[in-house]
Amino acid sequence: MNNKLPLTAKMKMADIIHLDYRLIPIIGRFGIEYGFGNKTVSEVCEDYAINTSFFIEIINSYHNHDYFPQEQLQNFKASLIIKYLSNTHTYYLNVKLPEIESYISQIKQEVTVDNRKNIDLLSDFFAEYKIELINHLNREDTDVFPYVELLEKAIESNCISDDVLQIIESKPIDQYANNHENVELKLSDLKNLIIRYLPPLVCKDVCQKLLFELFRLESDLEDHTRIEDKVLVPKVKLLEKQVLENCNRK
Amino acid sequence: MKKAKVCIAERHFIHRLGVKTILSVIGIEPDLFEVNSVDSTLKCLQENRDIDFIIFDHDIFNKIENKAIRKIRLQCPCTRFLVLSDDKKYSDSHVSYISQDDSRQEILDKFQSFFYEQNKDINDSENSALLSEREVDVLKNVALGYANKEIADKLYISINTVISHRKNITEKLGIKTIAGLTVYAVMHGLIKPEEVKV
Repeated sequence: MNNKLPLTAKMKMADIIHLDYRLIPIIGRFGIEYGFGNKTVSEVCEDYAINTSFFIEIINSYHNHDYFPQEQLQNFKASLIIKYLSNTHTYYLNVKLPEIESYISQIKQEVTVDNRKNIDLLSDFFAEYKIELINHLNREDTDVFPYVELLEKAIESNCISDDVLQIIESKPIDQYANNHENVELKLSDLKNLIIRYLPPLVCKDVCQKLLFELFRLESDLEDHTRIEDKVLVPKVKLLEKQVLENCNRK
Repeated sequence: MKKAKVCIAERHFIHRLGVKTILSVIGIEPDLFEVNSVDSTLKCLQENRDIDFIIFDHDIFNKIENKAIRKIRLQCPCTRFLVLSDDKKYSDSHVSYISQDDSRQEILDKFQSFFYEQNKDINDSENSALLSEREVDVLKNVALGYANKEIADKLYISINTVISHRKNITEKLGIKTIAGLTVYAVMHGLIKPEEVKV
């Protein structure tokens, strides 16, 4: 089967997972549980009251890195994206980061004296990275997401205040898209420091698990960034256009 | 040993002469092909698919360098490249670089290894190669938190040279961020942790 073909609502949910098992955590984040038999994607989404268009956009963006959603953007609310993205943020903060930290502290306990300093360095390095990541995610939670909700409310209520127009004019979303800094850089450095330069550890299995989790967090963050750049930003631009058009019509 | 076939692709006669002089210094007497443009280079390679080495100035290919190299690589998979450029755009075990501020000795060494170590996997030796002394100096200062301008002043080199050293360091070590480089420097005893500016 051609991997580049977009996944559609008519496909069977089970087939989609067989096609790309990396979608497992994504589907999980939507709250979908297994045992859905031969139901299609749209049937399963209906069962869980999930907006099918939105679901399709998200899994396609993860499945094919070159996928660029366009037609579907009109068909779901921006608040859905926001909710999904903040759920993902919570998942990073509450599940992924602690998991990695626990591996690091395990290594710290078992490390030999001569390697102790190196582990301390790496541990500090990760702590620094964690602060950066948290700041990054928080900025989105407190600045970007409320702005999107503001736009959507303005359109729904059809009451567009000067304040909203002013905010749009300051082009916050362009700034966000341009400054969408690469949060994965340090993660990649950490991996390389461990793989290439850290003297061998006694606790090899913990070290392997740690590396594995770092790789997974990195690729997850890449996907996450892609969703923000390819789904959220275009959607927000669409909303901005709508607000401005409504405004001119008045 | 059969005569090596070498193609020199340089726009300027003086440069070609210089390359030839270096070849004779390191004792290579090849079958020479001299060309001075992209088109003549590609034509020459088409007619002589068994060319072993090509030495070219990055000027000659300029923007299309990557594409041209890729094209030549497809045509003559065994040919090895020596590029005169600071910009190591194309990383491949078949491509070596000579940069603007290489010293006489460094250039001779690079020519030597380019011609005599063709059987060795260059990529391998390049990656595991330690940083040069100058790169270590730059790395120390980067790790200590100095800006490019400050490093240039301290080491009496231009900012561009600092930038090109930094690029090479990152490429060799596989570490991109300053914080990561600092950890590397401390791990390897290049700087002491208490020296690091916060």
